[in-house]
Amino acid sequence: MRGAAFGCNRAGGPGCRMMRRTTVPCRASGSSNGAGRPVLLEVKGLEAKIAATGQQILRGVDLTVREGEVHAIMGKNGSGKSTLSKVLVGHPDYEVTAGTATFKGRDLFALEPEERSHDGLFLSFQSPIEIPGVSNVDFLRMACNARRKSKGQAELDPLEFYAHVVPKLEMLKMDPTFLNRNVNEGFSGGEKKRNEILQLAVLESEMSILDEIDSGLDIDALRDVAAAVNGLKRPDTSVLMVTHYKRLLDYIRPEYVHIMEAGRITQTGGMDLVDQLEAGGYATLSTA
Amino acid sequence: MSYGVMQRSRCSAGCRGARPSATTLSRRAPAPLRANAPAVSASAVEDAWIRANVAEPAAPSPVAGLAALRSSCSEALASLRMPTTRNEEYRFTDVAALTSAKLARPTAAAAVDAALLDSLRFPEAGGSAAVLVDGVLRPELSDLASLPRGAYVGGAAGAPAAALERLGHLSNARGGPFAVVNGVLAGDAVVVVLPDGARLARPLHIIHVASGAGAGQGALSASAPRLLVALGRGAEAEVVEEFVSADSGATAVFAVAEVLLGPGASLKHGYVQREAAGSVHLKSTLVDQAEGSSYNLVEARVGGGLSRHDVGVAQCGPDTATRMRHFLLAGAGQLQDLHSKLVLDHPRGEAEQLHKCIVSHASGRGVFDGNVKVNRLAQKTDAGQLSRNLLLVPRATVNVKPNLQIIADDVKCTHGAAISDLSEEELFYFRARGIPAEVARQSLVYSFGAEVVQALRYDRLVARIQADVVAALQVAEASIAGASK
Ligand SMILES: Nc1ncnc2c1ncn2[C@@H]1O[C@H](COP(=O)(O)OP(=O)(O)OP(=O)(O)O)[C@@H](O)[C@H]1O
Ligand SMILES: [Mg+2]
Repeated sequence: MRGAAFGCNRAGGPGCRMMRRTTVPCRASGSSNGAGRPVLLEVKGLEAKIAATGQQILRGVDLTVREGEVHAIMGKNGSGKSTLSKVLVGHPDYEVTAGTATFKGRDLFALEPEERSHDGLFLSFQSPIEIPGVSNVDFLRMACNARRKSKGQAELDPLEFYAHVVPKLEMLKMDPTFLNRNVNEGFSGGEKKRNEILQLAVLESEMSILDEIDSGLDIDALRDVAAAVNGLKRPDTSVLMVTHYKRLLDYIRPEYVHIMEAGRITQTGGMDLVDQLEAGGYATLSTA
Repeated sequence: MSYGVMQRSRCSAGCRGARPSATTLSRRAPAPLRANAPAVSASAVEDAWIRANVAEPAAPSPVAGLAALRSSCSEALASLRMPTTRNEEYRFTDVAALTSAKLARPTAAAAVDAALLDSLRFPEAGGSAAVLVDGVLRPELSDLASLPRGAYVGGAAGAPAAALERLGHLSNARGGPFAVVNGVLAGDAVVVVLPDGARLARPLHIIHVASGAGAGQGALSASAPRLLVALGRGAEAEVVEEFVSADSGATAVFAVAEVLLGPGASLKHGYVQREAAGSVHLKSTLVDQAEGSSYNLVEARVGGGLSRHDVGVAQCGPDTATRMRHFLLAGAGQLQDLHSKLVLDHPRGEAEQLHKCIVSHASGRGVFDGNVKVNRLAQKTDAGQLSRNLLLVPRATVNVKPNLQIIADDVKCTHGAAISDLSEEELFYFRARGIPAEVARQSLVYSFGAEVVQALRYDRLVARIQADVVAALQVAEASIAGASK
């Protein structure tokens, strides 16, 4: 029901409508993979449907991302890549019907979207929305301070925040006037993507899911944005990229490439999968 | 602490597809005009409230244009009746706050606090500010040093005769009852005339101060500011009218603006109403646009008690553009009414209207009746109309009737009305960035009107309107929190 009393949380709060399984704390110890690095994100058997229509989109996704890793997900249009991304950050359009997801060992689906963000999960949206009337700098500062507060750090006043954000603007080669504009309002497609990465830079999230950051970017912009993403990498951070093209992956090299098909990850490999795709399209993969 | 934002059920006009409005104000044949005297003696006036409060003639004006205006309006007064909610045009707008009060007329020029005026000025309009107190231009408080050669900005006395002659033409023909009241009471008019091709380098800031002089004992101090803007062929200007009260006392303001745009002329018209709580503010804006001209209105009304704006725009030639954006905030005891009529009669017209209204208190009400009429000859027209309303508390009410009538067949028109909660998609974007739902909600409420208010562009002006909005919403928030304890 739209517009009911405030606090009605459609974004998958505790007990809302996802099936709760026992939380599986994930420790890296004893893992056979990734040189014993701790697991950051672990998705098991994830199924989800569109809340409004009941149409099932995700049909059992399994995915494990460890600290420091770069992953890519590729797949045909409509295979469910954006849906997976949005379900992980708690988008209210979807209902989780089965499976689990843990992030830093915590049950992701027991957390509000803002708590997932505080914990360090970030999604760069495929189509970022515009928020007329809210200035970009205010929005960025609210976001930054919300995370700082959750970590018990002092909030930044406008001046301190300005000092915090300017180097990040420079890294992204963004003009400071973008700060005074309204969030994404009138931004070009490429500018919106840059602005998403600016938010990532400000939040210093550990796990970034980048849904087609390469779409809408010109050749120079792609290089700038990829350089910024690489610059933000730390040993304890991970990147999950959704993309259709090799171009991006040449800049940000993934260790793992996953192929999504009809709501499931059907193949996992390395860059060789990408080369195969570029050469012969998805048909070559399914017959492989 | 926070708002309950709900969809309310009382969109009583049905939002869309409602029946077209009909003007049903009773105005009968005018009484014959007699020379040399008040046109109509007070005793001949039908409506008792008008007879007691308006009909007494003001001191005769030595300025020909004003005298003619007064005489034609006095004549119309005889058969005019104050509207009631039985009049279609006033169905949701009860003017009892006015008709149960007595009007007092400020006689002498009231003193105005210099600090108030200083607080209102903004640097972009330096050397381009006209101050009216109780409807009379006060040169000693105004600063019009930056006007270009050939332009006239000043009071009625001294204005170009050709312009003065047109004073009252639009408002007499298309204005409502309160435009008639203005015509009777107006002691002056600000006249802005730009010759062909002229351009005002700076925005002209017109500060309308209601002094409250003469009020007391249930009487509202009444004034009738009037503006006439006449732009020649290709002339360009920006005029920002700002209505304020000298102090916290309620007043009654009957304002009229007439705008005549020559071919290819362009006017940006800002209109800001920040009057004291409980004030009666009734404004008419009438615009005639010649071919190729552009009229761009940005309106923000956050003050007053009973506040209504009647805007009538006529596109009188092809390739004419009209854009109107309105933001209204109705808090405790406030009614914010917007009635607009836009007529497109010629090919390739453009019209765009955005109405946004927040009702933040159970005793607040928003009213919108927006009529856009695309006539048969107005082919290839592009018209859009949108009304978005945010009701923050139970029993908050809006009556909205966006009304797009299309008679031409080759037109592109969109319209809609939303009585809404905040956008879920927007709320989620905040939350995905870690901003808690409540903070997001607040920020979105504050910014709801900003989309319109920011179009006024000048930082100091925008900031004080936003400060009014924040203050009003904080009051609303406190009362909600108090009530839920
Ligand atoms: N909110 C929604 N409402 C209706 N249908 C939806 C919604 N979200 C996703 N879908 C449908 O679910 C399917 C998967 O969509 P999704 O956006 O996840 O695909 P994708 O893999 O990201 O595709 P692309 O490569 O084109 O971005 C599509 O058929 C889409 O139309
Ligand atoms: Mg997608």
